[in-house]
Amino acid sequence: MNVGLEHYLTVSFLLFALGLLGVIMRRNLLVIYMSLELMLNAANLALVSFSRFNNKLDGQVLVFFIITVAAAEVAVGLALIVALYRKRQSAHVEDLTSMKL
Amino acid sequence: MNASLMSLELWVIVLGVVLMLADFLVAPERRRFLAYLAIATLGALLITNLGDATTGTAFHGAFVEDTLAIFFKRFFLIAAMLVLFMSLEFSDRIAGGISEYYSLIAFALSGMLFAASANDFAMLFVSVELITITFYVLTSFQRSRLVSLEAGVKYLILGALSSAFLVFGIALVWGTTGQLNFTELARVAAQFETNKIFLIGVLFVLVGLGFKIAAFPFQIWVPDVYQGAPTPSTAFLAVGSKAAGFVLLLRVLFTALPDVAKHWADLLIVISGITILYGNLCALPQRNLRRLLGYSSISHAGYLLLGVAALSITGQAALLYYLAGYLFTVVAAFLVICVMMRHLDSEDISGLAGLNQRSPLLATTLTLAMVSLAGIPPMAGFFGKFLLLKAVIQQGAINHNHGYYCLAFTALAGVVISLYYYFGVIRAIYWSKNVPDLSPIPLSGSVKFAACVCIAGMFWIGLFPSVVLNLATEAAKALAL
Repeated sequence: MNVGLEHYLTVSFLLFALGLLGVIMRRNLLVIYMSLELMLNAANLALVSFSRFNNKLDGQVLVFFIITVAAAEVAVGLALIVALYRKRQSAHVEDLTSMKL
Repeated sequence: MNASLMSLELWVIVLGVVLMLADFLVAPERRRFLAYLAIATLGALLITNLGDATTGTAFHGAFVEDTLAIFFKRFFLIAAMLVLFMSLEFSDRIAGGISEYYSLIAFALSGMLFAASANDFAMLFVSVELITITFYVLTSFQRSRLVSLEAGVKYLILGALSSAFLVFGIALVWGTTGQLNFTELARVAAQFETNKIFLIGVLFVLVGLGFKIAAFPFQIWVPDVYQGAPTPSTAFLAVGSKAAGFVLLLRVLFTALPDVAKHWADLLIVISGITILYGNLCALPQRNLRRLLGYSSISHAGYLLLGVAALSITGQAALLYYLAGYLFTVVAAFLVICVMMRHLDSEDISGLAGLNQRSPLLATTLTLAMVSLAGIPPMAGFFGKFLLLKAVIQQGAINHNHGYYCLAFTALAGVVISLYYYFGVIRAIYWSKNVPDLSPIPLSGSVKFAACVCIAGMFWIGLFPSVVLNLATEAAKALAL
């Protein structure tokens, strides 16, 4: 079997869907955050495979930007979740209820 | 290639770094006065920018300096200065380093300035993330308050989710068209109109931007974040972050994908209408002032989307004009809330009782802000809503699309609903029955000054619309529809 662009894209869509599912279904903030990273990496995979099959380098360059930004986002995000955990002794979304609807 | 075009952004970044380093050099009790340094620098940059209207592009067209970018850059500079005045008032409530807070405002501002000039998907992504990640920290800056942390985490999760959609959308659009640059994308986009992957990509990009402007159905974070975040952060979020979302939305829809925008007019109409109704209806039962303003901000995203849905230069000009009025109005409202929270420790509307006797200036500012938000003449909000509705009805007459008439009717209904809760606030100020405390509220010079600037701005934009409207029309012409 010859692996083509569509295979990579299918994997990328699947990763994205899995990540989205994780964000919706999971109740632990850290797991939700991991699922979000999965979604970002799905986009990276799509970019790299488009880049490879279309012979254009823009996508590869953009991936570097995305990786850098995601690292910054993780740094801030984990710090926030840890700060919340210290205050609340819990990292579950059900406990985020101090503001009324 | 002309890198000197971005000297404004570079200066703002230098300012941010200087403010951060000043933390080591300035004695703790004097640090809050660093805000004056920041305001003076931004003021000098604004005055330089007013005299200089060079246009051009840099970095192979990724960075564009046109009338639209210049309009928004001035807008963001004014917003940041007003927010800095507000954070000066707020500084004693922030436990962590106040100079960090100021430098984060400068960094968020630099992100907004880059967003105003973004003409490339890579630039769009990086500027959006610069704004969003800075706002994660600004939102949760009061680490000792649980609500602030909670607001930060909620903003973090939903913000990261929307950036994932944005990135995936960019990947799909780039993958199908092979173009990241908006101007070049516009040339080839027409042949991809039936390509499903391309359309999904565009939709995902719009999801990411819809989160920034708080349009339905991506508005869930707004009330909690507005309620929990420190007040100056909320004000900056309501004005700066929203406006940055709108400038990017305008560029993506009208510079990069004008044909797609024409086909998706109905989608824009529906989103705009639902956003207006959702914001206004949910604001009705609110008693917490900041939560109320959060829902009101959703409804205003809907009004602003009228200008996008109109798909015409008049609509875009009306949007820009409305944003200018909205800037002064919202900052005025949050300024009063900021002072009020400090002296009353309450955000409930009932806390406003007797405000007209305790501090006539604050009462006047908040009343005028509510009147302007509700859209009553002669304030800025009235003329802005009028222009937006006019643009929508004109478009309906040209296209014979009844959706536009329905949208105009929905917007009018939204305005009528909003009168109830805006006047609820005014009633609480002047006609409350049980007034517990009538001691006067002392106001610092910076608050007085900022309040006067906001009042003057609201009246000036409302009474003499021609100046701002001309600027807005010039800016909208840059969008080449």
